[in-house]
Amino acid sequence: MWHQFSLFVIDIVALLGIYLIINFSLRLQLGYTGVFNFGLVLTFTGGAYVVGWLPVRLGMWILHIDSSLGENMIWNNGLIISKINSIIQGNIWVGLAIFFITLIVAAFIGAILGFASGYPAARLEGDYLAISFLALGEILRVIGTNYDPLIGGPLGVQVPDIWAWTGNFRFITASTVNILVAFGVWIYMYFLERSPISRTLRAVRDNKVVASSLGKNVTKIRLKVIVAGGIMCSIAGALYAFYTAGVVTSAYGMNEWTFIPWVMVVFGGLGSNWGVVVGTLTFLVIQKLIIFYKYSFTFLPFDPVWLQYILMGSALLLILIFKPSGIVPEKISYALTMRKTEKIANEILSGK
Amino acid sequence: MSTLMSMVTLSSFLSLMGFGLTLVRRTTGVWNIAQGGFVSIGTYVILTSVNFLGGSPYLYLPLAFLIGAGAGSVLFLVAIDPLRKRKASPIILLVATIAFNLTLIGVINIYADYLQNVFRINSKNFLLTKLDFKIFGYPGVSIISALILLVFTILFYLFLKYTKTGLTLRGSTEQPDLAGVLGVNIKFVYLLSWTLSGGSAGLAGGLLTMFFQCNPNIGASLIAMMFCVSIIGGVEEIYGPFLGGWLVGFTQIYGIVLLVKVLGSWVISYKEILPMIILVITLIFIPQGLSGIKWGAKVRSKKS
Repeated sequence: MWHQFSLFVIDIVALLGIYLIINFSLRLQLGYTGVFNFGLVLTFTGGAYVVGWLPVRLGMWILHIDSSLGENMIWNNGLIISKINSIIQGNIWVGLAIFFITLIVAAFIGAILGFASGYPAARLEGDYLAISFLALGEILRVIGTNYDPLIGGPLGVQVPDIWAWTGNFRFITASTVNILVAFGVWIYMYFLERSPISRTLRAVRDNKVVASSLGKNVTKIRLKVIVAGGIMCSIAGALYAFYTAGVVTSAYGMNEWTFIPWVMVVFGGLGSNWGVVVGTLTFLVIQKLIIFYKYSFTFLPFDPVWLQYILMGSALLLILIFKPSGIVPEKISYALTMRKTEKIANEILSGK
Repeated sequence: MSTLMSMVTLSSFLSLMGFGLTLVRRTTGVWNIAQGGFVSIGTYVILTSVNFLGGSPYLYLPLAFLIGAGAGSVLFLVAIDPLRKRKASPIILLVATIAFNLTLIGVINIYADYLQNVFRINSKNFLLTKLDFKIFGYPGVSIISALILLVFTILFYLFLKYTKTGLTLRGSTEQPDLAGVLGVNIKFVYLLSWTLSGGSAGLAGGLLTMFFQCNPNIGASLIAMMFCVSIIGGVEEIYGPFLGGWLVGFTQIYGIVLLVKVLGSWVISYKEILPMIILVITLIFIPQGLSGIKWGAKVRSKKS
């Protein structure tokens, strides 16, 4: 019982980290800049595909594994992965090298995909922008399903278990890394919120005509934000693929990686980082509780997992109708801290 | 000839699905993500009817229309109208349709599980081609879907042009505030458009069962295509989705045939990407869509 419960908690923590990164990227794009990105799945999937393609080849190169196996990478995938994993089990540096190199490449690919999807869309407004992202998000899924050399087509591929060196602590390690990366993104968002850039982004969001008249290149700013968001989503996709130790196209659908993050962020509140955390944690716990306890509901003539969609949809509708700003509303962000403001006020009053 | 029939069939489905999307966009200014869910509802109405009541799927198309229409009405009354009264922005209304769509996904999948587990009906992956008949050697669904689209278009045109409610709908689309001042029940007009939207999607879903392999997520897998149809055709005129449906259908079938001749057979697997590319190009260069282009003005400006 304790073992099951601990796995339950570890799984929530791991997915919490991944969803937080995606949701912070959505908050950066939608909450700060007003970019309605319904194509989060594009960059998320891009990061995952990098993990599906690169680490196995990197592992073969670093470890000098028989190159003849690489002639049919997909067919020999299982054999190659088991060879790489057996070496990583006794060599932490190989695992970490593959991890960090892949993450950097995933971030780069995320930036490219973000730019490629954002460039045609950055000039569009509102729901037209949203629709263009929705369509672009589907393109990578089609490519991944049909181009076998990438990630084995619809069957998918295994990826090297870069945490194999941790032994029985594999899942705890992976979860901890996911949460630490999410924490790093949270720190970035915290300082961004208190910087002049956030005020520029809000100006673009609230009134782009005024922002433009004050010399801000609205299109360029939106494109930069889309690229930054793409990098974050791509890293999240890479972490997810490493966590599950496999990449299969059916696991990267629009519902799970675009619409559900939207539900989480709108529910929690776009206007604050804590809102994102509240929304993400609430829905993740509900989702995992339903999956954890689904075998207690075997008397039901259907899979109880589908109940989570009804719960999420209903909760989001209620929030939109009764509390559209979300559970944690946006607060006014001050340019200076209270102490500095008081100091300046005192200096002015004392005539300095 | 079979290629032509495939194009006609696909174009008819897409036009019916895109029609509903364009109609609600034109009247209430909302892009309805739940349109895919309404299509899925249509497929399951036909599956349930033929399994429990027997007979041809065509007999139950009116039922698929009615239940789809009911779903559209529910979405409007439960989500869109309350938010509209609170002066919600179009993007919030779009998010509301996402929320409704998520609920629909849960309900449809639960229903599919129920059919499979309790009645042992294959509800997760089904195709009712064997219940179709042939007309002049071609699948009945190809000819009937085109006829249904033609009749639907004519009836809707007559409705808009010659009935009081249709004129009201047109007026409310152009100037909702003025129409309200003149005593038009705007809520009823919007409800009617959402009902028709859901109905057309349900009808399209019913026809789909005889042409595509259907599953609970069939609607979700087609939503991007529906948006392509609606935007490429244009939302400025109500005939826009019919233009868009035929162009997307043509591209999917004949466009791929042409690309195969030029690039090789490997492009067939990527045919779904073609409409997305056309969509992005349309959004950048002609965001008003094909029906929004003032062809007459262009010809006159060229002459002068």
